[in-house]
Amino acid sequence: MKFREYEAKQVFRDAGIPVPNSVLITSPNEAANALPKVAEKVVLKAQVDVGGRGKAGGILPANAENIDKVAADLFGKTIKGLKVEKILVEEALEILHEYYLSIIIDRSKKMPVILFSKEGGVEIETLAKERPEALRRVYVDPSFVTVPDFIVRNVIGDAPKEIGKIVKDLFTVFLAKDAVLAEINPLVMTPHGVFAADGKIILDDNSLIRQGIPENRDLAPREAEAEKHGFSYVELDGNIGVIGNGAGLTMATLDIIAHYHGKAANFLDVGGGANADRVMYAVRLVASMPGVKVIVVNLLGGITRCDEVAKGIIAAAISQQVIVRLAGTNEGEGRRLLEERGYKMLDTMDQAIRAAVEATQ
Amino acid sequence: MIYADKNTGILVQGATGSQGKFHINLMNEYAKEIGSAGVVAGTTPGKGGQEVCGVPVYNSVVESMEEHDISASVIFVPAGGCGDAIMEAADAGIPTVITITEHTPVHDIMRALAYARSCGTRVIGPNCPGMLVPGECKLGIIPSNLCMEGDVGVVSRSGTLTYQVISELTMAGYGQSGIVGIGGDAVIGQTFSEVIDEFHTDGRTKSVVLIGEVGGNLEIEGARRAMEIDLPIVSYIAGVSAPKEKCMGHAGAIVEGGEGDASSKIERLQALGIPVATRPSQIPELIKRSR
Repeated sequence: MKFREYEAKQVFRDAGIPVPNSVLITSPNEAANALPKVAEKVVLKAQVDVGGRGKAGGILPANAENIDKVAADLFGKTIKGLKVEKILVEEALEILHEYYLSIIIDRSKKMPVILFSKEGGVEIETLAKERPEALRRVYVDPSFVTVPDFIVRNVIGDAPKEIGKIVKDLFTVFLAKDAVLAEINPLVMTPHGVFAADGKIILDDNSLIRQGIPENRDLAPREAEAEKHGFSYVELDGNIGVIGNGAGLTMATLDIIAHYHGKAANFLDVGGGANADRVMYAVRLVASMPGVKVIVVNLLGGITRCDEVAKGIIAAAISQQVIVRLAGTNEGEGRRLLEERGYKMLDTMDQAIRAAVEATQ
Repeated sequence: MIYADKNTGILVQGATGSQGKFHINLMNEYAKEIGSAGVVAGTTPGKGGQEVCGVPVYNSVVESMEEHDISASVIFVPAGGCGDAIMEAADAGIPTVITITEHTPVHDIMRALAYARSCGTRVIGPNCPGMLVPGECKLGIIPSNLCMEGDVGVVSRSGTLTYQVISELTMAGYGQSGIVGIGGDAVIGQTFSEVIDEFHTDGRTKSVVLIGEVGGNLEIEGARRAMEIDLPIVSYIAGVSAPKEKCMGHAGAIVEGGEGDASSKIERLQALGIPVATRPSQIPELIKRSR
């Protein structure tokens, strides 16, 4: 789950990382009151989670004379499909230089890596591709609870020493928040010192509960409903609903649909050991997405019992056609139950998926 | 043999939970069928002295090792305690630890893997189905009824997709020298290349099926390793049509050197000269042609 800029900055502030003065507002009429608490010159920053927010018109300068109008304009905007509901009124900084600083997890090395560049404020992927030597990468042993000084020196090189403290504080944030990404871009030098001008924190979704976050709010309504049942669920834009068990098998199902020139509407991974109730919820959830014409169920039972799956499909009693491929424990019984009620059963995943694609054509 | 054999005494950590009980039973049914040591002990802190499916339960790994000959552990403990369980097993000197648990916090796993490495312990997983060597041993949850003894090594990031591939292989008459699920998480212990090294020296494997997914670049590393040691390999990568991975964001892609999406992975494998199946059902045919 992602923290918005204003949330990331609050986390930074609490950790001792300097951030510009700011106030969060949720309606245009709060803007004028916010200004004196912040600075004479401010920028209004739309709190929407999109890349290239500045270029898309999501960051606007303002002062005492025009702040009401600028705020009203920005609140009326939709930026890359997202409505502006919150605005951060932030002190305008006098920028002398911009740096880039982030900490992420390197999958291959299985450890955190600190990325630092003296050329901040740019698209970091572009910099990494075009001038990789301008981006320093320094690894941190996963058992370290703080960044040792030698690592700090390796990260910042001849950049100002005060950035070293920010490296240490950002690492503390990275650990304390169970983050998979903690980023300051740009980290700016001003006449009054260094500040985190923009920030991003992405939390590990498996650590939300111990972070005291009961729900992943990045999920769309049906995705959130799926998560409550312990399903993984993703929506696409086709007309075939997909239910599988296990992420790999479910993805393979999508790929075979594409192979036969079909289009998946969504896909749901029921996980291991699904019982009749869970399968019923899964089928209903997938069927509830508008535009789903046919559903293909592709389940390979290891610990999943086919008779339970069959009972779940029957209990869901949805209006769309359900095409089923079931293999594994109690397969014969599952098959009998479904065939008695006229469901289409096929032996292999290729056959079942092909039948589903044909049903939509 | 890879990682374990007939004589490997297995410990189950998290033995008294429903998953633990269910799979101790299945592992020992298979052990009985093939005459291997199977699960000899379990642990659940605070439940020492109980028995699960005839297997004695201890409070700690160290206690269980005082009473039994144990050389591998299979972990079913809930996600929040999983990193701790890996470290406990490593600390007690168990050489091979298989972590079935899913949804584990990534920081816990990074720390536990680093500690395990310092103890000389190899970790498979987390979020994996474990491993099975047909006729020798089963450590985890791979359904043994789908498998057959043979000379094809299977290494995969998935669970059920692996079962699909095994059943395709078995139906086509290709038995397996070993099946290892390395896990689907961003940070995992044993990677494709390490498992491929195991297959290289097990004295049975003639070719390897590498089953990958979107994300990271472990598949490419593994394929390169197989080429270096001249082990014939075929591959299948799931997720060509999956929406762009919800991953660590752009900074993640930079470090990994590529977006890690399935199509670019397939292109890179094909550029190495490795046959890549477009559907799991094509894998047996690719094995046949590679021999």
